[in-house]
Amino acid sequence: MTDNKIPVAYINDKPYAIEQGDTILKLIKRNLGKNLVPTLCDAPNLEPFGSCRVCSVDVALTKGGQVKTQASCHTPVMPGSYIYTDTERIKKLRKNIIELVLTDHPLDCLTCEVNNNCELQTVAAQVGIRKVRYPEGKTHLDRQKDLSHPYMTMDLSKCINCYRCVRACDEVQGEFVLSMSGRGFDSRIIKGNDVSFFESDCVSCGACAQACPTSAISDVFESKSVVADKKVRTVCTYCGVGCNLEVAVVNNEVKSIQAPYDAAVNQGHTCLKGRFAFSFYNHPDRIRTPLIRKNGELTPASWDEAYSFIAEKLTAIKKEYGPDAIAGISSARCTNEENYLMQKFIRAVIGTNNIDCCARVCHSPTALGMQRTFGTGAATNSIEDIKHTDCILVIGANPTDGHPVTGAKLKQFAMKGKTTIVVDPRRIELAKYATYHLQLRPGTNVALLNMMLYYIMTEGLEDKDFISRRTEGYESFKSHVLSQNIDELEEITGVPKELVKKAAIAYATAPNAMSFHGLGVTEHSQGTFTVMLIADLAMITGNIGRPGVGVNPLRGQNNVQGAADMGCQPHQGAGYLNAYDPEINRQYEAFYGTKIPLGKGYKIPEMFEASINGKLKALWLMGEDVVQTDPNTQKVIKAMENLDLLVVQELFLTETAKYATVILPGASFLEKSGTYTNGERRIQKVQKVVEPLPGTRPDGQIICDIMNVMGFNQGDYEPGKILQEIAQIVPFFAGVTWENLGTNGKQWPVKPDGTDTKILHTETFKIGKGKFHHFDFEESKELVQHAKEYPYIITTNRELEHYNAGTMTRRTRNVQILKEDVLLIHPEDAARHFIQDGDMVCVESPRGKVDIKARLTDEVKPGVLSSTFHFPEVMLNMITSDVHDSEAMCPEYKVVAVNIRKSKGKYKG
Amino acid sequence: MSKNLSYLSGRKGLDFNLFEELGIAAKATGTPDPVEMERLRNEFLFGSANVYGTVSFYDFLKKENEGKELFVCNGSACLTAGTQSSLKDKISSLLPAEKVGEMCCLGRCHENSAFHYQGRNYSGDAINQIRDILDNKAAVKDSYQTGHIGTPVLTAPYSEVASYYQILKNCLTRSPEELLDELKKSGLRGRGGAGFPIAFKLASCKEAPSDVRFIVCNADEGDPGAYSDRYIMEERPHALLMGMMIAGYITGAAWGVLYIRAEYPESIRIMEEAIHHLNDTGLLGQNILGSSFSFRFKIIKAQGAYICGEETALLSSIEGQRPEVRVRPPYPTQQGLFNKPTVVNNVETLACIPYIMQYGGDNYANIGTEKSKGTKLISLDGHFRKPGIYEVDMGTPLSEVIYGLGGGFKSNIKAMHIGGPLGGLVPVHKIKDLTVDFESFAQNGFLLGHASVVCIPEEFPMMEYIRHLFQFTAHESCGKCFPCRLGSTRGFEMFDKALNDSYRIDRNLLMDLLETMEIGSLCALGGGLPLPIKNALTYFEDEIKAYFQ
Ligand SMILES: Cc1cc2nc3c(=O)[nH]c(=O)nc-3n(C[C@H](O)[C@H](O)[C@H](O)COP(=O)(O)O)c2cc1C
Ligand code: SF4
Ligand code: SF4
Ligand code: SF4
Ligand code: SF4
Ligand code: FES
Repeated sequence: MTDNKIPVAYINDKPYAIEQGDTILKLIKRNLGKNLVPTLCDAPNLEPFGSCRVCSVDVALTKGGQVKTQASCHTPVMPGSYIYTDTERIKKLRKNIIELVLTDHPLDCLTCEVNNNCELQTVAAQVGIRKVRYPEGKTHLDRQKDLSHPYMTMDLSKCINCYRCVRACDEVQGEFVLSMSGRGFDSRIIKGNDVSFFESDCVSCGACAQACPTSAISDVFESKSVVADKKVRTVCTYCGVGCNLEVAVVNNEVKSIQAPYDAAVNQGHTCLKGRFAFSFYNHPDRIRTPLIRKNGELTPASWDEAYSFIAEKLTAIKKEYGPDAIAGISSARCTNEENYLMQKFIRAVIGTNNIDCCARVCHSPTALGMQRTFGTGAATNSIEDIKHTDCILVIGANPTDGHPVTGAKLKQFAMKGKTTIVVDPRRIELAKYATYHLQLRPGTNVALLNMMLYYIMTEGLEDKDFISRRTEGYESFKSHVLSQNIDELEEITGVPKELVKKAAIAYATAPNAMSFHGLGVTEHSQGTFTVMLIADLAMITGNIGRPGVGVNPLRGQNNVQGAADMGCQPHQGAGYLNAYDPEINRQYEAFYGTKIPLGKGYKIPEMFEASINGKLKALWLMGEDVVQTDPNTQKVIKAMENLDLLVVQELFLTETAKYATVILPGASFLEKSGTYTNGERRIQKVQKVVEPLPGTRPDGQIICDIMNVMGFNQGDYEPGKILQEIAQIVPFFAGVTWENLGTNGKQWPVKPDGTDTKILHTETFKIGKGKFHHFDFEESKELVQHAKEYPYIITTNRELEHYNAGTMTRRTRNVQILKEDVLLIHPEDAARHFIQDGDMVCVESPRGKVDIKARLTDEVKPGVLSSTFHFPEVMLNMITSDVHDSEAMCPEYKVVAVNIRKSKGKYKG
Repeated sequence: MSKNLSYLSGRKGLDFNLFEELGIAAKATGTPDPVEMERLRNEFLFGSANVYGTVSFYDFLKKENEGKELFVCNGSACLTAGTQSSLKDKISSLLPAEKVGEMCCLGRCHENSAFHYQGRNYSGDAINQIRDILDNKAAVKDSYQTGHIGTPVLTAPYSEVASYYQILKNCLTRSPEELLDELKKSGLRGRGGAGFPIAFKLASCKEAPSDVRFIVCNADEGDPGAYSDRYIMEERPHALLMGMMIAGYITGAAWGVLYIRAEYPESIRIMEEAIHHLNDTGLLGQNILGSSFSFRFKIIKAQGAYICGEETALLSSIEGQRPEVRVRPPYPTQQGLFNKPTVVNNVETLACIPYIMQYGGDNYANIGTEKSKGTKLISLDGHFRKPGIYEVDMGTPLSEVIYGLGGGFKSNIKAMHIGGPLGGLVPVHKIKDLTVDFESFAQNGFLLGHASVVCIPEEFPMMEYIRHLFQFTAHESCGKCFPCRLGSTRGFEMFDKALNDSYRIDRNLLMDLLETMEIGSLCALGGGLPLPIKNALTYFEDEIKAYFQ
């Protein structure tokens, strides 16, 4: 007898414990492996569907009772039932079903793309099918292939109508590109209104191809079929979601990428960047040798030559002008170990705090703001908390383009009608599905958040208990908020106050409410203040410290969290320890065994100023294209030109590299190891997939080399060893080792015993109590000064297909999907300037002008324009301003005063 | 089926319904305009593919339906009556072929020669006035016999509307739990085919946590040969409406949805009028009869797909999704229309409720047999001397229906197909063994189903009838599950080849196919087809054996 407290069911007469929600198939797979019962329509990340029926088993409710055939994938297990997986009847049924399938399937396995990797083939072999007995009849073998798309392919003669693709597009990506058409025998998969892949709304996530059990939907890399020498698990190099990738390698060449189903971050999903945009890595444009500028020309040189050239120059500059005439900009695209080394190089070898990274231009306000309020500048919760929340507030972020895999999860949430509040000047994809879209004027986040706070207070919806136990400064905060003139704020934001009130009430009354924010929050003159008000919103409603709540910045670059964690900012060293504190300085000095500077260092914008003023003589850039991505291009170029020495570590000859004195060819993420930390503080292993292209070196190795050349004994770039060093100095990395990161990494803080942390601030804040800070709305200087002559506001944004400056994505087939930057403009504004869809528009700001192609859309309100800066052809940053966030000096990319007119030709700065 | 699409469709509620809008958009030409489809899909946040997929599913929405004006019935009863080819000949002299389509069973099985023209059904000798019909000058005639043996629960005429609704008024003074108890006592089982006790369904829906619930009436009566639901809608509409309202009161649902097949234009009109009447007399809307009970009705006109009679396909259909059968769980009572708890019941089932409330559950339970309580409506086709709709107490000998009420056969009949296309083929010598109840039919290897009777004349080849059944299933298969999608077509091909060329059927293969469909199919369309075919193999072996290897 088995213990009658735990319900069991019998599989082939042996008892197994049933878990809540078990289907028969789940029970079988958990206990007896995934191959005992064949399946075709079932997939790990999709809901049970029950179309193929090959998973059928016989079930009796009592021993020896009457058996009934049931599809195991969608039938719940009845406690005490007897399940038979292989009766004669079942074996025959499976064989007969597959025989039917094969009556309408080409029998040319040997030449098929997925030969040996085909689920139909596997199941056919498993059930032992020998021949098809039916007389010849109707078939669909003559269906035409669809090869229209740069990545996706379709050959419906191979389709078995399992709907896995349709469900993947719906349940995983939330895109509804695919459906079945017709009915019965003639039903057939379609895209859109039965158009080609290329013409459809497909976002090329590849989920359908990965889901398809045959080669009916596949991709140009034949990802499913590649017989790889090895498959390496690594982490995507693009955005801060941090998707895990499984890379197939043949002959030291990357063939294709798939998404592992067991990845905690992405559960078998990716976006097109992670899955398909890898071919930049061996693009002919890759720089394959160091280059030194000689007589104005970049000329090939050996590594030794380049290193001694640089070392001499740096030593000379240091000697003549002091170490503070040298600065370094690290890269949020590189590994933690590389970033750690970079700041160590600048601090310990050069001897200055002039170190910064591109977090400056994206999430520096987040780190600063959240540190001031909570003590920790990182996401309080995890992405999986979306499953546990009742309300989501998305402010200043467009996750379906910027953070596609998280974006897809948020879209799934919103589509189900769960409370979703979108605060954004554009009607972004999520806004279409949201409960509330607060379409504010760009630059007025502070005003809008004040309105929300005001209504939560006037409606008495504060979490008084949380406020009194966990926070301080509430009373004066409250009186400040309540003193606001709500009608004035309504006027400023342009959002009806009743709508704001409803949204505020929805957020405050949800049992668990979670916020996500992006660069639409930070890239403003009041960026840090906005972050702190979002934190205030979470605190007054008690949405901190448990699943499904919190303040969750959608970190931009793959490792922007890590670059900051590693100390790539002037005022904080590795682990955010105060670099200007003599006590801590002594600690660092002891640890590095050398002198560490105490003086203030430059932030990125200050570096440019210093160069223009002649104070900064040398700049070391690791993988940063400041010319294309930093605002006010003319000024950045001037700063580059003014330097005595510009060292650039790069993959390609970027707009910035064109000004370099020395270029050192780095290696891509596929060619090196290390760790990245994603937006939810998850430290994950990046593993070398292929050897670096001949002539290139991992960026970490380059830094080590130069440190060694300059007399600091650093040894070679060994990520595991450097991680060990990091764990000794960065408190929240204490328990991290290369080995214990395992497959899915760890979320910091990691205790010395290796336990990690999904949710921060569960008991107390790092600084004890959470601190309320109040801020009034202040109009951006940009508008105060220029709005009169430049009455339009342009706000910058991102497109799914390209990553930031597009250096990598433009060197993949992604350009065939999106070729250019466009200007989003409301039809009313367009009409006023006689602009039609597709016309070139000259956009002029006080800094300069650019020509962009117009796309008429009511996604933006009249008076507001929007565009991207993925393409150097447009160089949108010619017009952006160098107004910065008052606290963190993050540039205000999101509010630029401009004027527009229809133009004929191209204006090139 | 997509949960996401159910939610998105549900955002608009029932007042603005995607499926209805597609029907309206198709009105002018027979298929919706692509521009309109794109507009609708944006409005409902669906993908273009979803709307395209939906439209392409239905006989009366798909592109191929463009320009069709007159539809000839191709249902089983008209087929075995042999009336349709001369009908088509007569029509072809007046209308070009591209304007003539087909419809499967107009519910005129009692006199056959059925066709549909511009929202009206015609049958019997109407074809003789085809010129007037095309000019919209002919009157619509529709007459068939009715009668009963035992208690007339559904066929008894009711008083004028206001006093009939006294039943509802009394119900509203009692608690929903009390009424549910009455239903439990009555033992009423579903009349749509599966025979599931209605009280369980209502209880499960009532208990599911939700603020919104729906009562859906399955008026898709798709079984060729069945027209008893049509009878109720056209002759006893208020029994049905009141039944739905009481079900709403019991479960806490505030909406009643009637999903009525397009092949019954008259039923739609009459139900619409009945609902108008209730609205006008204040019997619908907020706080009905001064109670806290509020209820509204919505009629959804179907667009030609047999599978929409299957309850989960029906729900997807209302949502504007492709009506593909859903897996269970979740059951509709947990997550049905727009993912909200929903009761789906057949017309006849719901129409019994007022009687039960008027006379009590015990009274009803006294009618019929131990396990099959109450009465059953039976549809007799044009091969009977007195074709029509008859109500009998469950347990009544089948012979009394056939020879008594129906007056016997007009000509030589070898078998009757009872209970729709998925019901059993009853050879005439079995009539004496059967009584009209679920158990008697099941025990004898047949199925009571919806109790329609289609006769197969002596001279009608059984091989052709089997081919017709496979063809029907192949045409109506939703295409979701492998055994039915592929098996119905392969079965059709086997019989077609055997009839048309020298191919001889491999009996083992056929038996394998039937078993695969029977135990492997997701729903009772693929799963039910083997029953009549096996009956044919059992009882008509001599007639068909020459076609086998
Ligand atoms: C292929 C198929 C067609 C069906 N057609 C109908 C139909 O036309 N009318 C109907 O009431 N039930 C039909 N049903 C049964 C319904 O799925 C469902 O069981 C019924 O509506 C429940 O109502 P009841 O319990 O009142 O019978 C069909 C089922 C299947 C599998
Ligand atoms: S690639 Fe993604 S978006 Fe495109 S059809 Fe497949 S699942 Fe849908
Ligand atoms: S294309 Fe592939 S996934 Fe889609 S239905 Fe066909 S076989 Fe299944
Ligand atoms: S979502 Fe981000 S991390 Fe994931 S594959 Fe796309 S770019 Fe890479
Ligand atoms: S049996 Fe036929 S109708 Fe039913 S789900 Fe399967 S394919 Fe669809
Ligand atoms: S895996 Fe269960 S029906 Fe396909």
